[in-house]
Amino acid sequence: MFEKSLTDLIQGLRANKRNEADYIQKSLEEIQSEVQQSDMYCKSTAIDKLNYLHMLGYDTNWANFNAVEVMASPRFGEKRKGYLAAAQSFHQETDVLMLATNLIRKDLASSNAMEVSVALDGLAQVATPELATDLFDDVAAVLGHSRPFIRKKALVCLYRLVLKHPEGLHALAPQLRERLDDPDPSVVSSAVSVICELARTNPHNYLPLAPRLYQLMNSSTNNWMLIKIVKLFASLTPIEPRLAKKLHGPLSQLICSTSAMSLLYECIHTAVVGDIIGVPLPVTDSVGREIDFAELCARKLVLFYESADHNLRYVGLVTLAQLQARRPELVVNQYETVLKCLDDPDLSIRMRALSVISGMATRRTLDRTVKRLMSQLILSNTIRLQPVASLPSVGTTEYSCKYNGDAADSDLIALATDATGASLVSARGSIVQSRQLTAAGPGPADSPEYRLLVVEAIVDMCTRQSYANLSNFEWYVAVLVDLVYSAGVDVGQLLSEKLLDVTVRVRQVREFSVRLMRQMLSDSQLASRAISGSSAAKVLCTAAYILGEYCSLLPANSEDIALLLPKCLDKLDGEQQATFIQAAIKAYTNWLRDVAGYWSTEIWELVRAVTASTMSQLSDLLLAKTDDNALSGNSAVAELPLQVSSRLRHFVEITKAVSVATSNPSESAPQLCLELHELFTAYELNPVSVAAQGKVPQPDGLDLDSPIGGPIPDTEHIMFPPPPPVSSEPRQRASQSGSGRKQRRGQKNEPFYLDGGDDVRHSHSLAELPDVDDIPVVQLDLGGQGSENATKTRSKKKKTRTKDGAAKRERRRRVQTPSPPLAPVDIAGDEDMPDVSAPLPQPQSQQTSPAQQ
Amino acid sequence: MIKSVLIFNQLGKPRLIKFYEQIGTTQQQEILREIHALVAKRPDTQCNFLEGCQSMGSSSSDSSHRIIYRHYATLYFVFVVDSSESELGILDLIQVFVEALDRVFENVCELDLIFHFDEIHYILMEVVEAGMVIETNLTEISRAVNEAKQQIKPASEHSRL
Repeated sequence: MFEKSLTDLIQGLRANKRNEADYIQKSLEEIQSEVQQSDMYCKSTAIDKLNYLHMLGYDTNWANFNAVEVMASPRFGEKRKGYLAAAQSFHQETDVLMLATNLIRKDLASSNAMEVSVALDGLAQVATPELATDLFDDVAAVLGHSRPFIRKKALVCLYRLVLKHPEGLHALAPQLRERLDDPDPSVVSSAVSVICELARTNPHNYLPLAPRLYQLMNSSTNNWMLIKIVKLFASLTPIEPRLAKKLHGPLSQLICSTSAMSLLYECIHTAVVGDIIGVPLPVTDSVGREIDFAELCARKLVLFYESADHNLRYVGLVTLAQLQARRPELVVNQYETVLKCLDDPDLSIRMRALSVISGMATRRTLDRTVKRLMSQLILSNTIRLQPVASLPSVGTTEYSCKYNGDAADSDLIALATDATGASLVSARGSIVQSRQLTAAGPGPADSPEYRLLVVEAIVDMCTRQSYANLSNFEWYVAVLVDLVYSAGVDVGQLLSEKLLDVTVRVRQVREFSVRLMRQMLSDSQLASRAISGSSAAKVLCTAAYILGEYCSLLPANSEDIALLLPKCLDKLDGEQQATFIQAAIKAYTNWLRDVAGYWSTEIWELVRAVTASTMSQLSDLLLAKTDDNALSGNSAVAELPLQVSSRLRHFVEITKAVSVATSNPSESAPQLCLELHELFTAYELNPVSVAAQGKVPQPDGLDLDSPIGGPIPDTEHIMFPPPPPVSSEPRQRASQSGSGRKQRRGQKNEPFYLDGGDDVRHSHSLAELPDVDDIPVVQLDLGGQGSENATKTRSKKKKTRTKDGAAKRERRRRVQTPSPPLAPVDIAGDEDMPDVSAPLPQPQSQQTSPAQQ
Repeated sequence: MIKSVLIFNQLGKPRLIKFYEQIGTTQQQEILREIHALVAKRPDTQCNFLEGCQSMGSSSSDSSHRIIYRHYATLYFVFVVDSSESELGILDLIQVFVEALDRVFENVCELDLIFHFDEIHYILMEVVEAGMVIETNLTEISRAVNEAKQQIKPASEHSRL
């Protein structure tokens, strides 16, 4: 049969672009027959084709055995194909790997260096713990091969084996040490790479190698190796501070002299991260002046993040963030540059700049930074393409949340610079004039990860150290509200938490906050987005709470009550609905008290009207679910959640009481109206810190250790006979006397008694409960001995209690009885091995010997 | 450690995929698709580093892996590495790898990669073994590749007869 080579397959694929799947199916069938053939060349071609198909995503595991066959081929080319197939598709559980052990061993010992190298590479990739244990010594032997080409591969292979066979590590370590002195630079480089990897998990072990590595660093010219050594020192310096002093000299030397940007970068990075800049020794720079090492690093770093090459900018910003964490004063004057980077069209650079900038936030810079970030969020497609209603402005002198998403860019910018102060972003003055947006395509600011990071950064900057950076809390609250509209990502939880936090903790801003919350609640667009679980719902819920809690700060308004019982209420979940209703009650009582202050007939009518309309609203809500049920005929729809219905009923009672109290027009306000609000305002609730509970001193004489009351009588003894005394188990409970044991068992049978844990296996009272199979009906026939052994197996093997286990125990118990002498003893394959410490029951041995004979 | 090496064209068709961690075939294809989606939409003026991708995140203890790529003509060469590798160093390494391909194939183009995909694997094997870089010197790499080639030529002639 004319078999296709790899080239033919590829050409065929390209020719059959339309029906690729069919062609591949056909080819797979052909390959299946080809691998079965005995001709090695045919097989190897088939494996080669399979490798290609694997790349396209087709599973090739069915040919694993054939791959191993090809690996065994004497010809190098074919062998290579087999190893490649193994590396691509074998995984840890591939069983044919065991067949390969000897084959790999042979290849490793081969005189042909190519074969050795292929075997090393293949083994490094597919190593399993068994293979690693078996072949470790063979690979270690290859480490002494005459060719450096092989030695470097053997090192890496050995490392991979050690990952699977950790005991090999102490054989590997001295070898690594030796290889560092190898004459060939590639071998040394490989050794360094391996040490780097190992040192990441356990740097202490490789500290002794530091002097040699230091020597290498000073003498080598191989950039790759130098980079690795420098990175390695970055992980060693934290554990050995004296190393920092020694490295100070060579590192600064390298920084001043090297021309390779990659090496320069790594040196600076290590200097920063390894805290070598902390060493207070001066350094001579390229012109011979003495400057502080940290300053030198900062200066060199500027080359990076101000460079035109984006890659350099990116890595520069990465290290700048690190430097900023350790020496903020060096970075603070770079604010402008980083702010520019924040507007870079490259998302990666933006994210890096964001992390640097948020670390740089101070009172003075916070304003500009937040404004810039907000403008990014707003002037992006996510917001522009969203229909958002405009809110009424609170007042020209107040900060407003005026927002108009439909305006063209020029209008936006014009709005932003509106002199009356109705600014786009509720910030002092105007939004920063952003560059004219060119295309309307999605920009980096539309990426959800970025937006999330921006929102979190803004919040973090403002709330850092209990609002240390904020000078104007009203501005902050306005920013939060703006974020609700312009975030575009699900940050409702975060924003509502922060709103609540600032409103509760900062008294002065409460009034402003309540006003804004009222605005938010009356925004119908926002309400329409508020379905259960959405971020708008969470924010609205918090807004409702704030409005309800602090409504006394504003002139009372009966519309508040309607606001807090919106139409969208039934779309929210139980907790949120309850919050709204509770807030509505608070608003209602507050309004009553307010209105009672200037009572008159109109007011009386007004009160009656409002009470009546509220009652009707509430009854609508109460009956809403039942109406739905009737209409849809689906009685499985849940009733109102408990907290919602209970609060609704409270509210209904309150309104009923008020309507009763105002049933007749009166001269002065009914007492009820004046006093109802005290339901909620009698005591002011303050925020409680997380650590408060821990600070409450324990009252004297509180004893948490002694049990309350006596032990519960052992009820199981009534239902089941007690297990026989466990004196036949000498190794367990050796230290305890009989009476103590009984008492402990009495206590242990209490289901809620938590034992100290000394005898874990027996502290679980279930262990002593007989299991279903040992119901007394069966036990009675066996007498004392059978139940004793059953106890032993039961208590030891409750974990392996399966149907088979029960059956096996059944079988063994039957064996132990005198009656059926010919029943086989199944020891093989039986999970429940007999308890060797217990004395062998005599009848068993007497029975089995005649049975076996 | 290098976690994976991928070469694909602008449409996302794979030319070489190599994972140095045990990952199933379907997951490999998913990762390929995801990385292609991330990389293809970046213009050449942007930097060549990307923060990680979701599909590969869970397998390693060190989840801060990076995607470092280079765009040559119609092909993307992508190396996924963890934080022990230097980003700029890997960029240089990609350059070395491509130059090695160039030397072996003489003015390498995508067609060469398509039809000689196994040879690309073997060249890569000389540079990176099991996620660790073993050679960065072009001369050494091409020497090793040529040595292997010499071993095969007589063999294939023999079996063809």
